[in-house]
Amino acid sequence: MSSNQVTNQIRRLRFENGEMTQQQLADAAGVTRQTIIAIEAGKYAPSLTLAFKIAQVFAVPLEDVFQYGQGSGQATAP
Amino acid sequence: MNRLQKRAWIELAGVTFCCILAGAFFGRLVHLNAKGLVYIMISLIVGPSAGLIYYISYMKIWAKFDEREKKIARKAYRLASYAFTLFVLYAALIVFFTVGGKGAVPVYYLPTLFFAAGFVAQFVQSAAILIQFALEQADEQ
Repeated sequence: MSSNQVTNQIRRLRFENGEMTQQQLADAAGVTRQTIIAIEAGKYAPSLTLAFKIAQVFAVPLEDVFQYGQGSGQATAP
Repeated sequence: MNRLQKRAWIELAGVTFCCILAGAFFGRLVHLNAKGLVYIMISLIVGPSAGLIYYISYMKIWAKFDEREKKIARKAYRLASYAFTLFVLYAALIVFFTVGGKGAVPVYYLPTLFFAAGFVAQFVQSAAILIQFALEQADEQ
């Protein structure tokens, strides 16, 4: 079933970007820390706007942060 | 505790306080058997004014919520709407089947029903917000 879900690499990207904290990412993306926690854990699928904002913070393309239908992702969102 | 949780607690406390105040006020009006155009005019001014103040204050804080908080708030509002509808429905049906179709109820039953339904809806809305956050926090641990 996980092949139909959105996966993300936020945790890995945070650590690759100077061990950025969840709070720093939240501030940069304009959301709360709880929202970043929920996205990272795959419990909340962000809107397209927020997904782009997060990708912009890491300066990577959207598909490097979020993947659809790949089982190898870090966390899955419904 | 984030902004939405704080707002939920404040609304719960505020609505409880307002219901106690309204209950005491209506109790006094029932005791006085108040009626007439003056009371109608007062209610026409107080009701919409209170609603407008609530709406403006909510819109101000709504802009500060992020998209996930808005999603949680919308879900809670939907549940509150169901609760309000069900409460009014069953408050009406229970009286209908208790007193009978040709029976009579005191007139103060109507505003009491409305305020009680409002309290139930607000309680459900605040509780739904707090429970959703509590469940998320439980998952995180």
